Amino acid sequence: MFVRSVHNCCRVCLKNSARSNAFSYFIKRLLNTKVARKLTNEEARHKRNEIFNEERARQLTFITRIEKIQVEHKGPPEDCTLIMNKGLSTPFNCAMHIGELLMNRSVLALVNGKPWDMHRPLVEDCELKFLHMKDENPILSNQAFWRSCSFILGYILETAFKNEHYVELCSFPVPNVTSGSFVYDADLKLPDWSPSAMELNCLSRVGQSLRYSDFKFERLDIDVSVALKMFEDNQFKSEQIPQIAVKSETGSTVTVYRMGDHIDISRGPLMGSTGMLSRFNVTAVHKIESPQYGPLSRVQGIAIPMSLSLHYWTYEFLMKRATKLNQAPIPTVFQAKSRSETVDNQGEEKAN
Amino acid sequence: MNMFRFPVRNTPRKLKKSFGVGSGPAERIKKLQMLVTALIRNERLEAKESYCLETRGYAEQLIQIAIRNGDRHAETMEKADYWLLEKDLVHKLFKVLVPRYQNYTTAFTDYHFLPKKVPGSGVQMGILELKGNPWPPVVPRQRNQKYLLTNVLISTAKEEYRMEKKISPDLKNGTHDKLNQLDNT
Repeated sequence: MFVRSVHNCCRVCLKNSARSNAFSYFIKRLLNTKVARKLTNEEARHKRNEIFNEERARQLTFITRIEKIQVEHKGPPEDCTLIMNKGLSTPFNCAMHIGELLMNRSVLALVNGKPWDMHRPLVEDCELKFLHMKDENPILSNQAFWRSCSFILGYILETAFKNEHYVELCSFPVPNVTSGSFVYDADLKLPDWSPSAMELNCLSRVGQSLRYSDFKFERLDIDVSVALKMFEDNQFKSEQIPQIAVKSETGSTVTVYRMGDHIDISRGPLMGSTGMLSRFNVTAVHKIESPQYGPLSRVQGIAIPMSLSLHYWTYEFLMKRATKLNQAPIPTVFQAKSRSETVDNQGEEKAN
Repeated sequence: MNMFRFPVRNTPRKLKKSFGVGSGPAERIKKLQMLVTALIRNERLEAKESYCLETRGYAEQLIQIAIRNGDRHAETMEKADYWLLEKDLVHKLFKVLVPRYQNYTTAFTDYHFLPKKVPGSGVQMGILELKGNPWPPVVPRQRNQKYLLTNVLISTAKEEYRMEKKISPDLKNGTHDKLNQLDNT
């Protein structure tokens, strides 16, 4: 209630806002004025989901006959060979055959030595390995986790605010664990807002609840035209999409991910599901100025996966560090080409 | 090559009752000779802590002078003959151990603590071994945890904290140059 009285940003008060929106709409119609209906995040998300479903169904129709592929699994609990369905079976399905441990703990899979999402269908005979957060060298898993957390920040920003605030997501930089926080740059359209501790807590809780929802990250490669249609309501993304497509292997595909009902562009790979989140906190919202995109908000957060534990004192120390402005490059059209995560689809990744 | 490469106590340890009640200095040396011989023979032995650590010094010294002087040095041969009760080990010392340890910059032996037995006499036992021995390792291989997500976060946070502490004395003196530099970078 306190939050609503200050900034109208809490999810709790959505119902009230809906009523007042309807009321004002009614009054405006009565006055017979021309009303340009304001776009809401909810509508945009709904539209994206419909396009996503349509496109996935269309891509599935290409598989008319089920072919078998041979998957050689290496690693614990034992090396084994599986016969799976081409273009349908995912590494997660393989893990279901092998053991529950792999299902629960695997963040990523290595398919022929390449990082591969847990829910991305396998397309050829391959050697399969599973990666988790406690590996000897978990750099790939760490990056996937950090990237997924940036992705989740986007979900929080789109869903946590009331419908009257249309939040436009811009992009998130290459995951860098050493910076101490993950980042999402977005246009919140709230120029005078600096969040209180309680409001940050409200935002964090949206992320924390994802652990129980256990959404999986679904990957889909789509054509530029479909991507442009999907993100036509977002000025930043629609500007970035052609550049991303040019850099892709075919020259005209864009990779999008869906988590629950949230869809965003990312180079990937992302972790298996949101059930791996343990602690999640949105720590700060900084104002940044982009030469091309104008004033943006840099939203930062910190999270720990389920398999690793930390003392609360240490976590609070890390949280304090995560409130400082992250020095990741500010999204510009030029830098977006070379560095930004959402744009640089094929670029080299920095090591941790 | 003159210094021992492991911490050495100034005074020798008392090895009481090394050969039963009434043992004196002669028995102590006899016991140590047997232990040094056993160490060179088997490359690993288990004994009370004090026995292990006393043996360690003599064994290390023997290998050191063997590396330094070679097998054509009368005093070295005399010493080897004194400490190695089984004479075939003199050949092992010069032909196996000297080549093995020639380029070592660390000690040639390792000491590991063993857990005390409870209930028991409460004596601290240990394992003394020659490095590069053919036995399976005493300590299992430890997993590298440096790159775990939490450890990466903590180590970088620590580094940043230290950097800030380094800068803070300048702040007291009124020079902000270093801080400005940091902000710019």
